[in-house]
Amino acid sequence: MATRALLAVISASPSRCFISSSRIKIQSSVSSLSLNFQQHSRKIHRIARSYSSDTDSSLLQPPDVSRLAETARISLTPAEIEECETKIRRVIDWFGQLQQVDVNSVEPAIRAEMDGGNLREDSPETFENRDSIRASIPSFEEAYLKVPKILNKE
Amino acid sequence: MLSTLQPPRSLSLLPLRRFQSSRPIVSAAASSSSTISPPQSQILTTRRSLLSGETTAVEIAKSYLSRIRLTEPQLKCFLHVSENVLKDAEEIDQRIAKGEELGPLAGVLIGVKDNICTEGMPSTAASRILEHYRPPFDATAIKKIKELGGIVVGKTNMDEFGMGSTTEASAFQVTANPWDLTRVPGGSSGGSAAAVAARQCMVSLGSDTGGSVRQPASFCGVVGLKPTYGRVSRFGLMAYASSLDVIGCFGSTVADAGMLLHAISGYDRFDSTSSKQDVPEFQSQFLSVDHFESKPLKGVKVGIIRETLEDGVDSGVKSATQEAASHLEALGCILTEVSLPSFSLGLPAYYVIASSESSSNLSRYDGVRYGNQVMAEELNRLYERSRGEGFGGEVKMRILMGTYALSAGYYDAYYKRAQQVRTLIQKDFKAALEQNDILISPAAPSAAYKIGEKKNDPLAMYAGDIMTVNVNLAGLPAVVLPCGLVEGGPSGLPVGLQMIGAAFDEEKLLRVGHIFEQTLKGSGFVPPLLANVA
Repeated sequence: MATRALLAVISASPSRCFISSSRIKIQSSVSSLSLNFQQHSRKIHRIARSYSSDTDSSLLQPPDVSRLAETARISLTPAEIEECETKIRRVIDWFGQLQQVDVNSVEPAIRAEMDGGNLREDSPETFENRDSIRASIPSFEEAYLKVPKILNKE
Repeated sequence: MLSTLQPPRSLSLLPLRRFQSSRPIVSAAASSSSTISPPQSQILTTRRSLLSGETTAVEIAKSYLSRIRLTEPQLKCFLHVSENVLKDAEEIDQRIAKGEELGPLAGVLIGVKDNICTEGMPSTAASRILEHYRPPFDATAIKKIKELGGIVVGKTNMDEFGMGSTTEASAFQVTANPWDLTRVPGGSSGGSAAAVAARQCMVSLGSDTGGSVRQPASFCGVVGLKPTYGRVSRFGLMAYASSLDVIGCFGSTVADAGMLLHAISGYDRFDSTSSKQDVPEFQSQFLSVDHFESKPLKGVKVGIIRETLEDGVDSGVKSATQEAASHLEALGCILTEVSLPSFSLGLPAYYVIASSESSSNLSRYDGVRYGNQVMAEELNRLYERSRGEGFGGEVKMRILMGTYALSAGYYDAYYKRAQQVRTLIQKDFKAALEQNDILISPAAPSAAYKIGEKKNDPLAMYAGDIMTVNVNLAGLPAVVLPCGLVEGGPSGLPVGLQMIGAAFDEEKLLRVGHIFEQTLKGSGFVPPLLANVA
C-alpha cells in the first residue's frame, strides 16, 4: 500500500562507495584509432593500483556490475548484467591508459575557461505555469507527490 | 527554393543528378561540373520570397510538409511532427498582410532535436523514460527562435540522451542516411542532420557533447556548427554532460547555420554558464561570391592538425582533407602543420568525464516528478524499476561506468585525472591558436558506415569520435562543412572538414567557412534522394 510522503529531492544514485571482489579480466583489443589497450592493460591496472597515496590499492578493482546497478538505482536482468559486464570491463580497461599520463602539478579543469560571476540571486520565484508542471507528475494527490512507503518496519 | 516532391516516384530509384558515381576516391572539388552555382541560404531566400510576395509562408510550409510525408517512411528523421506548422505559417502571412515587421527567422522551418524542451510538444530525448512527456516550458533557444518568427517543424530523432554516434540508440526508431539508406546518419543528432540533408526542414538544432552536431553533419553532407561553450544557453537542454554540452546548428549553408546561431546566442539568467560576451552580427560575413576578392582569405593562418591525419583515418577522408587544405591555400590562406601532443588522450578523458557527469545528471529521471513511473511496493524499487525499464542499454552502460569512475577510491584515478588531461588539451589548443587563426582536421575518421556495423562494439564506436571530443574538452567553437565525396552508396558519401576557432571567435570561422563553401567547385551537396527535384 502506498503511503503519502512529502518528497524532498532524493537522488536516485545516492551512494558512491562499493568494494568489488571480482578478478581483473583482460579483454581482447579492438581495432581502433589510438587505443591498443590490450598491451597496456596489465600495466594500467598496476599503475592504477599504485597511483594514489590516499587510496587503498586493494580497492581498485574492475567493476562489479550488480553492485554498480544497485548504487545507481537501475534494475538489470541477468542477461543485461552479463552483457554490461563484458562491455564495461573493456571500456574501463581502455580508460586505464590515462594512468600513464604525467599530470603532476597539472590543475584539473572542471570545464572550459569562461567568464565568471554569472550566478543569479538565490531568491525564490513563482512561476505562472504551476498546473502544467504538476501535470507532468505521474502520481500526485492534493499538494503532494505520491510515492510508496520509504520506511521499513524493521 | 526546393519544389515539392511528387508522390508516385520511388525515392530509392531517383536518378542522380549532381554527382555521378564516384571514382575510388573523389573530392567534390574534382568531381563535378563547375557550372553548379554555390549553395544559397534558405533563410535569406525565404525572407526574400516572402517580402516580395513571390510566395507565402503557408505555401512554403506545405511544400516542406509534403516532402516530409514523402521521405519520412524511409528516413525516419522525426519522432514528432508539429500539428501547428500551417497555423504558425498563417500567422506569418497575416503579419505580412498587415505590413508588420518580420523577425529574421519569419517562416523559417526548423527541426529541433528531441532533447531540447518545446512547450506542449513531446520532448523525450528518444528515451522510453520520457515517452509522452510534454514539457511545461520552452528551452531558451526555442523561445528566442519563436520570438524571431521561426516555426518548429517537429522533434528529431537522436541517440537516447545524446549517448551514441549513429542514432541507432534511439528507443523508438533508426534514422537512415539520405545519401544511402543502408547507412547511419551519424549521431547523436542524426535526425537533425538527415532532416536538413533531405530538405525536410531548412535548418535544425542539435546538441554537441563530443561531436554530436559535427559528425552527423559530416555523414549527411550538411553544415554543422558547434558554438563556444557558454555562447548559447543550455536552459531546457536535457543535460548529459554539463561541462561539455552545447546546443548547435545545422544548415545546408554556412550562412544558415550562422544566422540560426546568432538567433539563439546570448546570456540567459537561467543558465549560469551562459556568457555575457557580445554576440556579433555574423550576417556581414556572408558576402555574395560576386563580391569576393581574388584571394579573399589572404593572410589567414590555418593550422592542419597532424595527429588527425595519421593511421586509422580512411584514405579517402585524408585525401579530401588535404584537397580542402589546398583549396584554402588557393584562397590565400597560409597553411602550416601543427601538433597537439595531447590529442589522443582526449578520447578516454572525454568518456570518463561524460560518463561521470551523465551518472549524476540522469539521476533526475527517477519516475517521481515527471516521465514514466513503474510502481513498486517500496520507493527504491520504484526508482530501480522505472529506470531499469525506462533507460536503454547504452544509457545504462554509461551511467554504470560513470558510477564506477566516481566511486570512492576511484575518483582520483579516473575523474580527476581526466580533468587534468582536459587542462593539457586546453593548453595545447591555446598554443596552437595563438599561432593560427583557425585549425583544420577531418570531422570523422570515416564517412558514414552501415547501420548495425558498430552497434555492439562500444570501443569501435567511441573511436569514431576522436576528431571532435577534444574541441568539447577545450570548449572551443567549430564548424563542419562538406568538402568532398568518397566512394560508397549509390553516388558517393560526403566527407566533412572541421574548422576550429578560438573561444568566442565564431565570426572568423563563419567567414572562412562561407568563403570556402561558396568557392568550392562543384559544391551543392544534395543527396541522391533529392537530386532531380532541387
